[in-house]
Amino acid sequence: MNSNTARAALGAAVVIVAIVLLIVLKGNDSSSSDTSTTKGVTTIVVKNGKPVGGIKQLTYNEGERVRFKVDSDVSDEVHMHGYDIMKDVKAGGSVSFDFPATIEGVFEAELEGRKEQILELTVNP
Amino acid sequence: MSWLGSLLPVAHALVARKDLPVPAWLFAWGASIVLIVSFFALSVGWRTPRFERDRWRPLGARLSRALLALPAQIVYGLVGVSLLGVAIYAGLHGTEAPDRNFALTFLYVTVWLGFPLFSVFLGDVFQPFNPWRAVGRTAGGAFTALAGQRPAHLPYPPWFGRWPAAIGLIAVVWLEIIYGASGGVAVGLEPHAAAVAAACYSAYTLTMMALFGVEQWCRAGEVFSVYFGMFGQLGCFGVKDGRLGVRRPFAAATKWATVPGSAAVVIASIATTSFDGAQEGAFKAALESTFDHLVDAGVGLTSALRLTDTIFIVLCFAGVAAVYLIGVRGMAGVPGAPSFKRLRDGFAHTLIPIAFAYLVAHYFSLFVFQEQAQFTYLLSDPLGTGTTDLFGTASSGVNFQLLSANAIWYVQVGGLVIGHVIGLTLAHDRATAYWGDYRQAARSQYWMLAVMVAFTCFGLYLLSVANA
Repeated sequence: MNSNTARAALGAAVVIVAIVLLIVLKGNDSSSSDTSTTKGVTTIVVKNGKPVGGIKQLTYNEGERVRFKVDSDVSDEVHMHGYDIMKDVKAGGSVSFDFPATIEGVFEAELEGRKEQILELTVNP
Repeated sequence: MSWLGSLLPVAHALVARKDLPVPAWLFAWGASIVLIVSFFALSVGWRTPRFERDRWRPLGARLSRALLALPAQIVYGLVGVSLLGVAIYAGLHGTEAPDRNFALTFLYVTVWLGFPLFSVFLGDVFQPFNPWRAVGRTAGGAFTALAGQRPAHLPYPPWFGRWPAAIGLIAVVWLEIIYGASGGVAVGLEPHAAAVAAACYSAYTLTMMALFGVEQWCRAGEVFSVYFGMFGQLGCFGVKDGRLGVRRPFAAATKWATVPGSAAVVIASIATTSFDGAQEGAFKAALESTFDHLVDAGVGLTSALRLTDTIFIVLCFAGVAAVYLIGVRGMAGVPGAPSFKRLRDGFAHTLIPIAFAYLVAHYFSLFVFQEQAQFTYLLSDPLGTGTTDLFGTASSGVNFQLLSANAIWYVQVGGLVIGHVIGLTLAHDRATAYWGDYRQAARSQYWMLAVMVAFTCFGLYLLSVANA
């Protein structure tokens, strides 16, 4: 390939790259509002062995404290995967979780016996 | 009634920590680097093929003999057969908790992801450990000794090619991430089902080996031999005339796709990894709406979930194949091009690095986390029943803090970019071999460049919306 074509190709590449960067980074600004973290203690209500209102989404930054409570009408074990915290809950009872967000990633909490997911925990760096 | 709430795929029963989506800025930089590298490659390409001719340097005769002698082969075979035996036994008799049973992690992480990893650097390391090849060769040897003649085999139909392996590859992934559904919820594959599948696959493989011959079936039809062997073509060690030697990295790959259906194998690899990466991100909404339609049409919950996923994994295969074939079609239009068929087979190996990059991008963290389990509690307590502690590590856990989110992102994006560069290199090299005229070779590579940019940017996109 001669040097003119090469220069044209590189020029085209730079233009495309600039456009890609512009679009993606601009899109990021507008969507940054939904990455806010969860504050306070969230309560997950379990009715008939399923979470009311679907699987609860909680988002934290690393280092913050994860706080949530599970009110359940069934007896089961709540398993917070990844952090590997297990707590029993009695039918009609409730159980509280309070631990530091030390591991980054996306994690599930489920009713272990029913294999029913009740929470998706996101920990951002 | 909407079933949206109930459909939440938990594809891998083994994934306790899922990756965060790659942030937009890193996605943008990854895509930019890919584009710059690609256009730069067009302008600096070399003019004579460098990988087509093998550069072979044999290793020391004594080392070679020690590693390849019959007693060594018997040891490798025994290791392979006994580990498969442990996995099947653990699956049948151990706990049904997927993460506590040896079977699932061993088969789907240690073997399924570990062999591609070691093969791309070392060469085809699966062949000596292949348990079915070991059993098949033993049976063949016994037959020859007893009957006084070598076993006769059916001729392998040439048009079969590597298609049985390509279809088998999709089936292996299908079993892992699609079959394990219950009542409309993906619960992941259970160890018992995995063990039964492994036993059935063993029976099928041994039958095929008896029909067509052990080596023939390993070369073309046996899923694991073909799939791991494909990655092994990139590695730098090989065996030639019974002697171990060092070869130029990637060079062996140029001769890999000479068997029909080879392109289907590498396409199946990219497609299945894409599906797994997309189902909790890019395809999530489409999967849910298809599932809802099927349930509304009266399909049972479990069947609807499996059917939805099956449709999408087949669509992934068709989509990846279409992108590749469009590129091949484009190349065929460049003056001086060989036939469409020759081009289709001749450029298939250039997708192997991309397929490996997809594996790294989607399973790197799973591999790092799950191998900790493999070498601690799964080894000490393979059944997961708490009854054994063979190496004193039964109560160890997985350290999920070993990798930061940033480290995972850089490995994912870096893997895709490096795979892209190696794929482009191989494609450019093949083009200089097919087109005597350098200018036409460069023109043909606009097409392959578009194909590779499409795959790499799609891979980056999947990462940026994964688990989001």
